[in-house]
Amino acid sequence: MCASVKYNIRGPALIPRMKTKHRIYYIALFSVVLLGLIATGVFQFWPHSIESASDWGVEKRSVRAVPVVRLPADSPIPERGDLSCRMHTCFDVYRCGFNPKNKIKVYIYPLKKYVDDSGAPVGTTLSREYNELLAAIADSDYYTDDIGRACLFVPSVDVLNQNALRVKETAQALAQLARWDRGMNHLLFNMLPGSPPDYNTALDVPRDRALLAGGGFSTWTYRQGYDVSIPVYSPLSVEVELPEKGPGARRYFLLSSQMGLHPEFREELEALQAKHGDAVMVLDKCTNLSEGVLAVRKRCHKHQVFDYPQVLQEATFCVVLRGARLGQAALSDVLQAGCVPVVIADSYILPFSEVLDWKRASVVVPEEKMSDTYSILQSIPQRQVEEMQRQARWFWEAYFRSIKAIALATLQIINDRIYPYAAISYEEWNDPPMVKWSSVSNPLFLPLIPPQSQGFTAIVLTYDRVESLFRVITEVSKVPSLSKLLVVWNNQNKNPPEESLWPKIRVPLKVVRTAENKLSNRFFPYNEIETEAVLAIDDDIIMLTSDELQFGYEVWREFPDRLVGYPGRLHLWDHEMNKWKYESEWTNEVSMVLTGAAFYHKYFNYLYTYKMPGDIKNWVDAHMNCEDIAMNFLVANVTGKAVIKVTPRKKFKCPECTAIDGLSLDQTHMVERSECINKFASVFGTMPLKVVEHRADPVLYKDDFPEKLKSFPNIGSL
Amino acid sequence: MKSWRRKSLWLALSASWLFLFLLGLPPLLRPAVPPRPLPGAPEGWPHWLDAELLPSYSQPGELPEDAAPPTRAPSGGGCNWGACFDPSQCRCGGLKVFVYPAAGPTSEIHHQILASLQRSRYHTFSPREACLLLFLSPDAPTGAPIPVPAQWDGGKNHLVLSLHPAPCPKTFQLGQAMVAEASPPVDTFRPGFDVALPCLPEAHPLQGGAPGQLRQHSPHPAETLLALAEERGGWRTVGTNSSACHWDGRCEQDLAPNQTLGRATLPRATFCLIPSHHSAASRFLQALQAGCVPVLLSPRWELPFSEVIDWTKAAIVADERLPVQVAAALQQMPPARVLALRQQTQFLWDAYFSSVEKIIHTTLEIIQDRISGVSAHPSLMWNNPPGALLALPTFSTSPQDYPFYHLQQGSRPMGGFSALIQVGASAQLPLKLIQAVAGSQHCAQVLILWSSERPPPPRGKWPETAVPLTVMEGHRKASDRFFPHSTINTDAILSLDAHCSLSTSEVDFAFVVWQNFPERMVGFLTMSHFWDSARGGWGYTAEKANEFSMVLTSAAFYHRYYHTLFTHSLPRALRTLADGAPGCVDVLLNFLVAAVTKLPPIKVPYGTRAPPASGDPRPELQPPDPDCVNLMAAGFGHMPLVSSRLRLDPVLFKDPVSVLRKKYRSLEKP
Repeated sequence: MCASVKYNIRGPALIPRMKTKHRIYYIALFSVVLLGLIATGVFQFWPHSIESASDWGVEKRSVRAVPVVRLPADSPIPERGDLSCRMHTCFDVYRCGFNPKNKIKVYIYPLKKYVDDSGAPVGTTLSREYNELLAAIADSDYYTDDIGRACLFVPSVDVLNQNALRVKETAQALAQLARWDRGMNHLLFNMLPGSPPDYNTALDVPRDRALLAGGGFSTWTYRQGYDVSIPVYSPLSVEVELPEKGPGARRYFLLSSQMGLHPEFREELEALQAKHGDAVMVLDKCTNLSEGVLAVRKRCHKHQVFDYPQVLQEATFCVVLRGARLGQAALSDVLQAGCVPVVIADSYILPFSEVLDWKRASVVVPEEKMSDTYSILQSIPQRQVEEMQRQARWFWEAYFRSIKAIALATLQIINDRIYPYAAISYEEWNDPPMVKWSSVSNPLFLPLIPPQSQGFTAIVLTYDRVESLFRVITEVSKVPSLSKLLVVWNNQNKNPPEESLWPKIRVPLKVVRTAENKLSNRFFPYNEIETEAVLAIDDDIIMLTSDELQFGYEVWREFPDRLVGYPGRLHLWDHEMNKWKYESEWTNEVSMVLTGAAFYHKYFNYLYTYKMPGDIKNWVDAHMNCEDIAMNFLVANVTGKAVIKVTPRKKFKCPECTAIDGLSLDQTHMVERSECINKFASVFGTMPLKVVEHRADPVLYKDDFPEKLKSFPNIGSL
Repeated sequence: MKSWRRKSLWLALSASWLFLFLLGLPPLLRPAVPPRPLPGAPEGWPHWLDAELLPSYSQPGELPEDAAPPTRAPSGGGCNWGACFDPSQCRCGGLKVFVYPAAGPTSEIHHQILASLQRSRYHTFSPREACLLLFLSPDAPTGAPIPVPAQWDGGKNHLVLSLHPAPCPKTFQLGQAMVAEASPPVDTFRPGFDVALPCLPEAHPLQGGAPGQLRQHSPHPAETLLALAEERGGWRTVGTNSSACHWDGRCEQDLAPNQTLGRATLPRATFCLIPSHHSAASRFLQALQAGCVPVLLSPRWELPFSEVIDWTKAAIVADERLPVQVAAALQQMPPARVLALRQQTQFLWDAYFSSVEKIIHTTLEIIQDRISGVSAHPSLMWNNPPGALLALPTFSTSPQDYPFYHLQQGSRPMGGFSALIQVGASAQLPLKLIQAVAGSQHCAQVLILWSSERPPPPRGKWPETAVPLTVMEGHRKASDRFFPHSTINTDAILSLDAHCSLSTSEVDFAFVVWQNFPERMVGFLTMSHFWDSARGGWGYTAEKANEFSMVLTSAAFYHRYYHTLFTHSLPRALRTLADGAPGCVDVLLNFLVAAVTKLPPIKVPYGTRAPPASGDPRPELQPPDPDCVNLMAAGFGHMPLVSSRLRLDPVLFKDPVSVLRKKYRSLEKP
């Protein structure tokens, strides 16, 4: 053994001394090793197609190696598409019944290669775009690999381009899918329908009840509410990066860049050009391009050569004419360039027209009116044109940009039909991010003055100041419109006084005990609140007169979407410290009211408790301060409106000091309140508070008028 | 030696094989263990190794060139807007509508429709001028055949209107005519061509109409979740537990009889379930009026005005085959959504459905929108208060230009204000007023509307102002001051009479207030209306009172859009009426703004002033014509004015604090 090792170490040196027989052995051995190494290297570094081509007995990973399905010539063909199909007739919604979160489940059939009897393929097995599309679906939340749970089936039969397939055989391929069942709940994607010379506007493959997501539908073939009209994807979208160009005047007013236009259309366009000169530019394909230049990326006018699609960014409006087909990939290029498409294709169903408002991003001109195009466009005000340019670009970014965007928008549309109560709104589909960000949708948008008879519910937050609380209850109960009084007992260590001790008042009085001493308890949406108006009042606010409270309620009725309160406060920008500052001095402006005494809609209680952004609620409870500022932020943010301060200023017994036990407006308090404003502004990401210079008084306040005839004489007295 | 050799040979062989194996193993193993996601996760679409090599779906050269345009639509009975309507006749003068006189005996409703059409701004008496010819289909089948109308021409540019879904005796071919029909079946409805009308109850008011019944924004905590429309015509409320009743309205056991409400009563529930069959379509409007969100399960009829109204904001349309999911969705609907749905029902009811007139005008507005193309109402205007009938796209197509959409657009009213001073017959130059108004930091320009017989004084006589001053010749009509003069280039107008007196402080403050309420009128002097039971009519007074419902336009801020609305949307009869009685113009503008906003105007402080030296009372304080307000109320079909009891003052107004701290000091003067 020992010797063998020794021999082995010295091996190479011994070879020449060995016998020929042994030498042959060793040479054979080394060549085996060498061969092994070479083979390994080949497997490591050779292009992968070869590797997958060799059958390893595991998963097929090349498109060329997918299982082949032979379709007998007499295998069944689905019926032609049924034009009367609607979701409630041709779609089996029961399959979608158990999908949680109102999201349909989509199954993709595994890829197969279909051949006819003679072995000839029925079409492209898989195009790049269809592969991307299926991958996008598989990566999305919609995807399921469980055919039994799926509600929508996407065949992997590629029908994006009708020219690349054989109609009858493709139909046979569809018919033999595992869950075909007359095409029920099957979704086909097709971008280039029809074939010469007639070019049908929908895929000619018989597909029975299958849904068709098609590019180039016309009103005659489109089944409203059933089919989905999709864009014709432009491969240039990935090739060329066009940076967003701001709206505004551009070099050409109207540009036509399509090649292969029908001569009649071209004549019309050239007539426009002749009439309006430089403002209109009609481009065509280039005739004498040098070798190696892609014809699709160049356009020419006379001897001028332009880069396509870059030239589209030079125009305000771009013509998108129908060719042999209604749907044109040029539409995508035009939108990408932020050029407003002028769609001249009668009866064309624009992409995603079920949800997209194309009036905001395009101009549709009837073919008959083509000669008027220029004057029609001229009549659009500049502001609207700029709006359309922005909108066009946004549509491209959201729904045209990639195959993935197209696929997901299609599925979203179908999803919204099945779960309409959870559907995406018009604004979400159509408003560009800028608008979404800056717009406010007031939850109480209906101008509705609630009837006075409803009255309001007063909510008194108290801890243990029983005497003061009883005085507040007695005072508030004098207000005519009070309909209920709710005492929120925030002290867990002490029971509220016995029932007999409470003041006797004319309206129901309820005491709610809380589980924890939290300031947020004041804004909890208690079931006991039956009125829409809520008066939040501290247990030490005894200085408000009945007239003032009643008047406050009536002001609230006129502004039910706002906080209507008594003491007003202001936020200011401190230029030295570079942050917000809280201000309680006598100022000419207000931006907040203290909720120690304020009317508001009970819906804001719900918002405060369940929809407060960030950790504000916990922060308030932890600091035992600033719940009123948080409420002011919340309401201003959601309504976009300012508070209403009612009646003149009074010497309040520091209503905002409850949390710090009688310490009057000292410096720390102000600093803490300022901190709250800064904290909340950062959580909201903006400063929602609105500053106003007015307050509400009774019509005849301080007017030269007999006091006893005034409705609210007792206002502003100290 | 032999064995030693054999041993070493074997060892070398096995060592080299081991070496080979170690080297070769990883690549061998790699395909055997594919990058498979963890078990349990869906497998997904494979990442093809040759994905980069796949061909694109369309080859650049493949697209056919110079292809013949496809032949026109297969005219198999189908009609669409492009094919069957010729808008060329509408190009000059916009939509003009001619209505065929009724053939044979006509019902009351026909007369009403005719009358309301004639009040519309689209009406014309000449069929030649018209670009839309309207044929009212008789609502009761008569024995006599209906003659084909004179200008029929295959039905081109015709609209056949039938308000009641009576089985229409189609004695002549409809051909290319559009059909506006109550609750049309979805199968025959041609989107973008036909117009779907609501199915009206028997007695629907012609004008004005009952307001929505919603009294609170959010549902009362005790309100029932769901009411079912019953076959007999009532509503049955069901609790959250709907097991007793099927979703199609049939109930296995009768609930307590008092839960079934009568035919006339409106449902009191958050959601109203309306069966899908055609005969239940009439219940839709009832639910809408009641503020009860309609829940429709696969309706077989087209929702009214679905071309422009986004019903997803006001109703729940779901598949009847998934009732359990719908029930769960209703119960779990977030309060914010319920709130929005409820309010939208009320807005839509008030804007488009509450009267026959509104329905007719909405129908015409939809057709007008189709004709105008780019300058049609944006969807925002149809689906947000005050609605498309009150937002005229001739004013502007940018929502920011209107007073109503600033919140949604995140915009603010534009510019300062234009002071519009009307100089009446006295022809006195309001020098002090011009100085005071032009002194305001927000004043952008001063416009003088010269309405006197005498010519305006020459340029030199006018005071020097920091802002441009323009003199316009008026037509000496009262309504002239509310004409949308093109010189008005700011959103705010300060309308003034030559004899009124204002201080710069007052103007400044009022404008700042207006900026917060651009849709309302902000005025200094007020009037209030009241019901005079002794006379059985409305009365109004300019005396000081605890409440008010109108502001005098002799000194008021408002949005310039109201000039357009006043001139182009009000019925001619009302404007003529206002021209006849000068005091009435004020009332009319207040009616108009209140009808649009459904809110009262805003009053701002106005200092007391010494009576004018001449001693005669100011004209605006003269007791106005009492009939005016009644005529206006009749013209509007209802009383739109809303009273307010508040005034907006500066924050420190008359507070016991040094005047030096106050921004609007001169308002403090007694």
